[in-house]
Amino acid sequence: MKLSKLLITFILAGIISLISIIYFYSIQRDFTQQHRNFILSINNLENSYADTTNLVLKNSLYIYINQDDIALANKKLEKNYLKVKNSKILSDKNYIDIKKQIESLGEDLKISKENIELFLRINASIKNSLLFLSRHIDNSNILYKYDKKELLRARIILKHFNDVKKLQDLAYIKKEDYLLSSNSTNKDVQNYIKSFNLHSSFLVKEYPFFFKITKKIVDCDVNHHKIETIKHEFSKKAMHDFNALDKFAFILVSIFLISFATIITLLIKYKNENHKLLDTYSSLEYSLTYDQLTNLFNRRKFELDIKDFKNPTLLLININDFKYINDIYGNSIGNLLLKELTKFIKNEMEFFDKTSLYRLGGDEFGVIFNDINIERALAIATKLEKYISKHTFKINNIEIEITVSIAVNNIKPILENADLTLKQIKKSNNINISIYEESLHLKQNVKENMRIVQLIKEALQDDRIVPFFQPIINLQTSKIEKYESLVRLKLKDGTFLPPFKFLDIAQKSSQYDEITKTMIEKTIKVAKKYPQYRFSINMAMTDISNKKITNILFETLQKYQDSNTILDIELLESEHLTDMQMVKAFIKKVHSYNSKVLIDDFGTGYSNFSYFSDLDIDIVKIDGSIVKEITTHKKKFHMLKSIKNFANGMNMKTVSEFVENREIAITLKNIGAIYAQGYYFSAPLEQPLDDDNVTI
Amino acid sequence: MKFILLVLLYFLILEAKEPISPIPLEVDYDLKKALLGKKLFFDAMLSRDYSVSCFSCHDINEHGGADPRKVSIGFKHHKGNIQSPTVLNARYNFVQFWNGRAKDLLEQANGPLTNPNEHNMDKKTIEMRINNSSFYKKEFKKVYHVSYIYYKLVLKAIVEFEKALTTPNSRFDKYLRGEIKLTDSEEKGYKLFKHYGCITCHNGINIGSNSYQKMGTFIDYDTKSNYPDRSVVTKKEFDKNVFKVPTLRNITQTAPYFHDASATTLKEAINSMSQHNLGMIISDKDADYIISFLKSLDGEKPKILEINEAF
Repeated sequence: MKLSKLLITFILAGIISLISIIYFYSIQRDFTQQHRNFILSINNLENSYADTTNLVLKNSLYIYINQDDIALANKKLEKNYLKVKNSKILSDKNYIDIKKQIESLGEDLKISKENIELFLRINASIKNSLLFLSRHIDNSNILYKYDKKELLRARIILKHFNDVKKLQDLAYIKKEDYLLSSNSTNKDVQNYIKSFNLHSSFLVKEYPFFFKITKKIVDCDVNHHKIETIKHEFSKKAMHDFNALDKFAFILVSIFLISFATIITLLIKYKNENHKLLDTYSSLEYSLTYDQLTNLFNRRKFELDIKDFKNPTLLLININDFKYINDIYGNSIGNLLLKELTKFIKNEMEFFDKTSLYRLGGDEFGVIFNDINIERALAIATKLEKYISKHTFKINNIEIEITVSIAVNNIKPILENADLTLKQIKKSNNINISIYEESLHLKQNVKENMRIVQLIKEALQDDRIVPFFQPIINLQTSKIEKYESLVRLKLKDGTFLPPFKFLDIAQKSSQYDEITKTMIEKTIKVAKKYPQYRFSINMAMTDISNKKITNILFETLQKYQDSNTILDIELLESEHLTDMQMVKAFIKKVHSYNSKVLIDDFGTGYSNFSYFSDLDIDIVKIDGSIVKEITTHKKKFHMLKSIKNFANGMNMKTVSEFVENREIAITLKNIGAIYAQGYYFSAPLEQPLDDDNVTI
Repeated sequence: MKFILLVLLYFLILEAKEPISPIPLEVDYDLKKALLGKKLFFDAMLSRDYSVSCFSCHDINEHGGADPRKVSIGFKHHKGNIQSPTVLNARYNFVQFWNGRAKDLLEQANGPLTNPNEHNMDKKTIEMRINNSSFYKKEFKKVYHVSYIYYKLVLKAIVEFEKALTTPNSRFDKYLRGEIKLTDSEEKGYKLFKHYGCITCHNGINIGSNSYQKMGTFIDYDTKSNYPDRSVVTKKEFDKNVFKVPTLRNITQTAPYFHDASATTLKEAINSMSQHNLGMIISDKDADYIISFLKSLDGEKPKILEINEAF
């Protein structure tokens, strides 16, 4: 049975037994009350019976007596008897014997009452007669005068009568012994004797009956005994009932106590189970809020908490190159490192009030400060970063040193902004700490990007993607030989947007292909107008694998094959070196249209000399970052010279970009560099120049 | 021995206070109810032919609450079978009626009302008449707060009135209370009353009415007559001619005497009693003394007779 069902069962049992106890208690109280009432009324009956007999006794003793008392006592006796007879307890069938006895007692009392009435009646006469006789003897002058002997006899007779009454024995009075007789002829004497004899005869006649009645009344003490018996039997029976009630009460109380104890036990058990459940629940709750590895709050908890902070500042800490640590030492060491770092950060943060530490991701920690200004947060972050980078973590005797990046942010949405900042930090190579600032437009970039996407879309629709042309000068001849076609987005206000403002974004969208296509088509149209110049367009290595772009390119080249127009391709290196065979095939195809292939921005980024051995490159464009500084940095100059010499050795020509002043132009010319381009000569132009002469 | 006797005597004297007690000056009864009972007591509506009321046979104004006639005359001039006893001080009677067939006044009141020779009524008719009377409706509503008047309530009201019918302040009561001295003849009469043994039966507050006694203990008394005596109640031969000892209060007003109205004067009654029940002849002189004592038992008329409205 289920615990709750069991509990309910016992609670029910408890309640039922409790109700029974209460009900039983009322019954018992009722019974006790009835019992008491019965005892009380039977005692009253006994008393009033005693009173009655007492009064009867008194009545027989005194000559003059107020009989009201005895009448009242009789009434009281009757009333008390009725009370006993009507006792509620006698309606119980267990007490039917007692009831019968009481009924029989009632009969006896009725007889007793009749006897008393009879006794009183006869006693009155007897008393009067005895009184009369004694008075008669007092007034016995006449007898004294005529018959002294009879007077003496009269006295003896009276004495006998008195004795007989006391002794209740008629033997004292012998036949004819109670009558006076005189031979005197005196009329008064005879009258006197007549009166005496009247009463003495009366007494003789009444005495036996009187004695009988008296005896009956005395015997009626049996009633007394009867009442005692009734009381005794009643008590015995009641005792039996009380014992039964006690037993029943004991059983009920036992049931109640057992139920009660069981309920308590079950409740304890219930509580324990509940406790277990609570434990499970809290551990679940814990795992929902805590990170199992570090025992820090987890990201979920962070997201819950962050709403409660009024003025939170977040330090978002990320371990630099944690991936490598895992790769090198294994995940278990990585995990231990995370633990150690947690300890370390916790230690450092101990000094600050109102901080909460979270593990937000694999190698990402968050510290929230409440109500702290950003400078202070930055200071804390700086210190923390420094301490971590200086600390050597010892894990299983392996010494590991790590660096962290910390983004500091107090602008909502806290985590997102900090994340953006952190990405920004990761992009840069030399910054480890940064504050998110709205001036960084990190956030706005997204909006800006969206705007630009929209701009490109509109520009494509309105045909506002246009090529600009920057001349490439032959330093040795001072003539413009080539133009590099550079993409521009013409804004509605007539100004132009340079490629770095939109091309990256375009590259990530389908618009890029469209732009490339436009550029190819528009450039070649211009090139046709200026057959004296060569033209070049820019393509990324990735574009080579883009069939759509290569198709457009080669279709165009095919189309203008006979028109003396030359379109060279400037390839921009990328980290994703595409399939070499494909690039080779591409270059071969380009060459088949008399076009040349240039490598752009060489000397920076992923510049790879192996290109030159594998690929049939015609011209190398030396990156501006080198060219710019050849007059100020000797190393750059030597780099440039080496690249030039290397290129010449490989039968390639060079173009030096970013020639910004004459000094650079002269230096380049002097070392025998052939081509150059840059603002010193000309910024990119809407149209190529008709005059190809340049002054260096 | 003498000492013991003396002590015994002392106790006997102590105990032997006067065997007659005075009627209390104030008795408990509900005045409103009693006044309502008074109306009923005088109302002939309570007899079938509207001819008799309680008062018809219990003249509380002139005849000490008894009937001066030998027997009472009831419904359609039917004669009663016994002399009407007084209603005065009836509350002190140990039982009611000559033969004690009613244990109290309530039982008694029912008797004459339903006796075919007296009021010849029944419970239903009485209830109907009383409830049809706007006067009684109003009065019972006022006094008992009932809208329907049951027969028993009618009886109760009458009983309440009867409870008020006491005659206190008789000369003898005053004497008992030590307020006055009896005249010589009264005192002599009282002594003789005790001396001859009258007091053996006539004692208590009502000077009688607290025991049964046989008429003719010495000399048989009219054994042939057929009065409703105690034997009618008990069905026992020895209760033949046994009656409740009547009260002697206001005895001068309640002639004729005895259950059979055989004595028209007190002297006749004394003579009859002394011969039949005391076995002696009381001299004329002594009888006169006793009569003057008996006269001292006349009390004041019940106050309620003067009151008509409760305040």
